[in-house]
Amino acid sequence: MNAVVAVMVREYLIRRTSLMWFFMDLAVPLLYLLMFGVGFDRAIGGGMMMGGESIRYNEFFTASVLVMACFGSAINQSYGFFVDRDNGIFYEFLTYPMTRAQFMFGKILFGCVMSLAQLLLTLIAAVAVLGVRIHYPLLPFVAVGMMMGTAAWFFFMAIFAFLIRRNDTFNTVLNVFYFVLMFLSSLFYPLEGTPDWLRMLSFCNPVTWQADVMRWFLLGLGDPGTVLIEALLFAVFLGASFVVAVKALERAVE
Amino acid sequence: MKIYTRRRDTPLRAVDGISFEVPQGTIFGLLGPNGAGKSTTIKVLTTLLPPTSGQVSVLGHDVVADPLAVRRQICVVLQENAIELFLSVQDNFRTFARFHGVTGAAADKAMERVLDLFRLREARKETGIDLSGGMKRRVQVAKMFMVDKPVVFLDEATTGMDTINKRATIEAVREEASRGRTIVLTTHMLEEAEELCSSVVIINHGRIIAQGTIDDVKDLGLRLFNITLTFSADPSRFIERLRRYKPQRLDVSGSTVHITVQEERAMYAILEMAQKSKNIRSFEVTNASLEDVFVELVDKKETAA
Repeated sequence: MNAVVAVMVREYLIRRTSLMWFFMDLAVPLLYLLMFGVGFDRAIGGGMMMGGESIRYNEFFTASVLVMACFGSAINQSYGFFVDRDNGIFYEFLTYPMTRAQFMFGKILFGCVMSLAQLLLTLIAAVAVLGVRIHYPLLPFVAVGMMMGTAAWFFFMAIFAFLIRRNDTFNTVLNVFYFVLMFLSSLFYPLEGTPDWLRMLSFCNPVTWQADVMRWFLLGLGDPGTVLIEALLFAVFLGASFVVAVKALERAVE
Repeated sequence: MKIYTRRRDTPLRAVDGISFEVPQGTIFGLLGPNGAGKSTTIKVLTTLLPPTSGQVSVLGHDVVADPLAVRRQICVVLQENAIELFLSVQDNFRTFARFHGVTGAAADKAMERVLDLFRLREARKETGIDLSGGMKRRVQVAKMFMVDKPVVFLDEATTGMDTINKRATIEAVREEASRGRTIVLTTHMLEEAEELCSSVVIINHGRIIAQGTIDDVKDLGLRLFNITLTFSADPSRFIERLRRYKPQRLDVSGSTVHITVQEERAMYAILEMAQKSKNIRSFEVTNASLEDVFVELVDKKETAA
């Protein structure tokens, strides 16, 4: 356990050196909700239809912000991996008295703490400022979804942090993922009214799976059967990302 | 044995059939030219890489079967510059110590000692990213002295350091060994290895080409004699005559001539010549240095290959 704590303290110390890290970790998704969400909510005025129910855009978008928080935390963590590997200390870590699982677990746990802090901030803003109606009994599942999402996206991004050697290539990959995975999903709009090709592609996207599951836990919106399948698919995505990340880690050391 | 397999490339046998033991409490040198397999060997010994085949153990713990037990016994300076770029020097030390289970007052006490030992006190609050390359290396090496692990691996530890810090590092390494810690080092600086190590292994192309104590290695049948002649006048006429003995090395620096010959007969002939000359101010004969033997061994193997 000491090793896991040491990894987490190290992550905290690094973030403490620059407020920019905390801004990226804690404030960016919240600002999406308060700026983009509010703006769009006003723009479409009378709300939108989802599964036959009329909801406000702010309500729809709250779950999306939580997914973005997981995604953003994973990007920051994987970028940290890239920097550590680039300056060589990553290899030194692997000789410290801890297992590689403890090292990864410490990283993920810190990411989860940041995600849960974002969950709290987002819910306060959503309920107190925007008047979003939340399904409170299922809130613990939202927290679990946040942690699973943070872990899954961390493993997924870590694969590229381990395998890509060039900084510019890694940044490009992150930007492409951010753009494609975010917009080809149910994050910004319901998929019901979108063209068939877009809907088909979006249903193959783990961001859609996580967003739909989070929306169901948070607001009770969506088809339970579809959400169950998406939850299972996301669990498989988490497992597969973990396995590939471990292989990529072994490759990175060579 | 360690074989790297990359898609589209032929497998690379980085380390092949290496076998050696390091006695506890000694300083052991792993020497070889660039790409010889030294760093791969260190990576295997420190559990960074699993061997493709064979058995490797550190203090009785197998690196594959029980890597965590090995990591609990070691600390490592890798060839890559490795410090926390965003943390201060003192947070670098504290973080390293925390990972090794040393915290609080014990960590601070160790840090005070290391700051003095490596003359880093003035830089303690500087951030890693602001340090020069040599200072980064110094912090990286100094971290090893924050904790008391029985085995220390130093991969080219003094590379990039200035002479004074190199000297401080060498002294610190020697002191740690005298306290019973086992030091395994790789270095390009053979004088450093000769000064520090009680035994060495020389590897080339992943294979051992010589091993033993420093004296064993220097006595590997390579009879090399280093002769230093200092003249009171211009030595150019003398140099022409020296070339007849087919020296391995002939360097002239002002009025001093350094010459290395392989045959004892040649050595005596040169000394006789020097004795007869009226221009000789001093002469000195020494045995081959580790560097001479190293160059000879590596060159011989390269030629044979």
